[in-house]
Amino acid sequence: MGDAAALFREYMGTGLIVIWYMISLIYLWINEKRKYLRLLFLYMPVILLLVYFNPLFARLVYNVAEGEIYYRILWLLPITPVIAYTTVCIYGRFMDRRRADLFALCAVGMIAVSGSFIYSSPLFSKAENVWHMPDSVVHICDAIRVPGREVMALFPLELVSYVRQYDPTICMPYGREMTVDRWHYRDLLRDAMIEEIIDAEKMVPLAREAGCHYCILPVNQKIKGELKEYGWEIFGETDGYIIYRDPVIELVVPDGQP
Amino acid sequence: MIVQLLILALLLLIIPTVIGGLFINIDKIGEKMVFRWVSGQFALWAGFQLICVPLILREKRFEYLVQLFLGYMAALTLMALAMEIQRRVKVMRYGRVSLRGLFRGKENRSVVLWMLFWGLLLFQLVQAVRLAYGDTDDAYYVAVSSITESSNTMYEVLPYTGGGTKLDMRHGLAPFPIWVAFLARMSGMPAVMVAQVVLPVVLIAMAYGIFYLLGSVLIPEKGGKLALFLIFTEILVLFGNYSIYTVENFMIARSRQGKAALGSLVIPFLLLLLLLLLRKLEAKGKRHWMLYLLIAAGMLTGCLCSTLGVLLVCLAIGVAGLLGAICYKRFQVLFPLAACCIPCLCYGVLYFLFD
Repeated sequence: MGDAAALFREYMGTGLIVIWYMISLIYLWINEKRKYLRLLFLYMPVILLLVYFNPLFARLVYNVAEGEIYYRILWLLPITPVIAYTTVCIYGRFMDRRRADLFALCAVGMIAVSGSFIYSSPLFSKAENVWHMPDSVVHICDAIRVPGREVMALFPLELVSYVRQYDPTICMPYGREMTVDRWHYRDLLRDAMIEEIIDAEKMVPLAREAGCHYCILPVNQKIKGELKEYGWEIFGETDGYIIYRDPVIELVVPDGQP
Repeated sequence: MIVQLLILALLLLIIPTVIGGLFINIDKIGEKMVFRWVSGQFALWAGFQLICVPLILREKRFEYLVQLFLGYMAALTLMALAMEIQRRVKVMRYGRVSLRGLFRGKENRSVVLWMLFWGLLLFQLVQAVRLAYGDTDDAYYVAVSSITESSNTMYEVLPYTGGGTKLDMRHGLAPFPIWVAFLARMSGMPAVMVAQVVLPVVLIAMAYGIFYLLGSVLIPEKGGKLALFLIFTEILVLFGNYSIYTVENFMIARSRQGKAALGSLVIPFLLLLLLLLLRKLEAKGKRHWMLYLLIAAGMLTGCLCSTLGVLLVCLAIGVAGLLGAICYKRFQVLFPLAACCIPCLCYGVLYFLFD
């Protein structure tokens, strides 16, 4: 129950949009005459909220699915259509056109102030290419790809989420699962890679054990020891990353491939 | 690239609109081109779910699914075309009807409002192409699509790292990424581009198409009120980032993921269908069996999008069905609605059995 309430609070954000939703429901409760609309816009959300806050139901869902997705039950509340519909209904009650327009402008302003502009999210960025992938990932993957077979490559954590979206023939010893702290995955190679100063003596044997043909490191990455001493060769450099090739791990190009 | 886009337009716009002709008699709004497009796409999604899940469970090749689904698509298209010919209505007519419907307002005010709506929609579609959203869940869903397309297997390769794996039931029962792979295979466009660029444009437009249909049931198109309703929905969506959990956030930022389609397409479409059903109950009108079929298609699409979709769609239909049956004293409505839930419940049972 506590978790469901906490998720509800998080879902509401500042709570202002939900306040407009509640006001819309009260308006419809008083003014809406069509029974089928009352059923779907008034009674159904109330029942769904009772279900959402029912501890037995919450426990059932938490046992079956991940608890963190319980908030999606709130998606069944038709918040956007109800607020939009109520605003249009109130707009229609104004006999004077100017007042109606003023009301519509005020409503837009209130929604804008109550919510948060979606494109202001820091997770949005200008797409670097037609794949919506970082250019660095595209260029590195294109450089290390071997037609007709898979290759194993060790990437820095900031790139692992993109690599296999762009090119599924490139395998990695660890992937996106290592970037989510709450999942508590541990991997010695990943731990070695996120050190401020990477210890070559520790990292190279682990990369070889994982069968990595390539290792990608940021240009300005500090390294304790010389990777060349372990036989690693610089294969290329692009977008602020150096691609190392480990010749100890054999990379046979299939017959008929360039 | 142009050929690839044309193939995608055929698969995502033209064929669904033709198939939507099967549902033209459901209600007055069944004649609207937007309704045809959306209902046709839901019929395709429902069939995809029914065909795909058994093949995933039996570890069949992806190309086998492609052939079967193409067969299903062709059968529906032929059936819809046959019905069309029977009605002696030319396909071209729908374009005229739709455009007339959208700009029906004679007053300048109405035209201005409609133009504002289209402007805001265009802005969102351009942003969907221009901006990338860094969501790490794509590392799973988009990678599954890319892997499926390139390896010809379904859920047999670890998406994060590569290498073989056994089926993950939670994701295998909701194979929305496989549908993305299907689009990639058919068009020849890389799956990552289909998912990150093409799908957001199509699915955001479809979400507003559903809002348009919802609005046309709720509000009479007089004095630009319908356009105003749509503008308010756009403003609510554009300022819907008040929490990362909102449907609006998923709709704009993560539209290529099945769960976003569940929140922004499936649930609003089911709301529309329930509105039509309850309205028919109130008017004591004839309940068209095609309406139930479309509700079932909507529910199956919910299962295609997310495993939690099983619970959400059954909950929505259950609560609305019970309310309708009690308020209108029409308990017989519960039987077809319960029948609509059966396929979803089967997926629920499969989840418990194999997870």
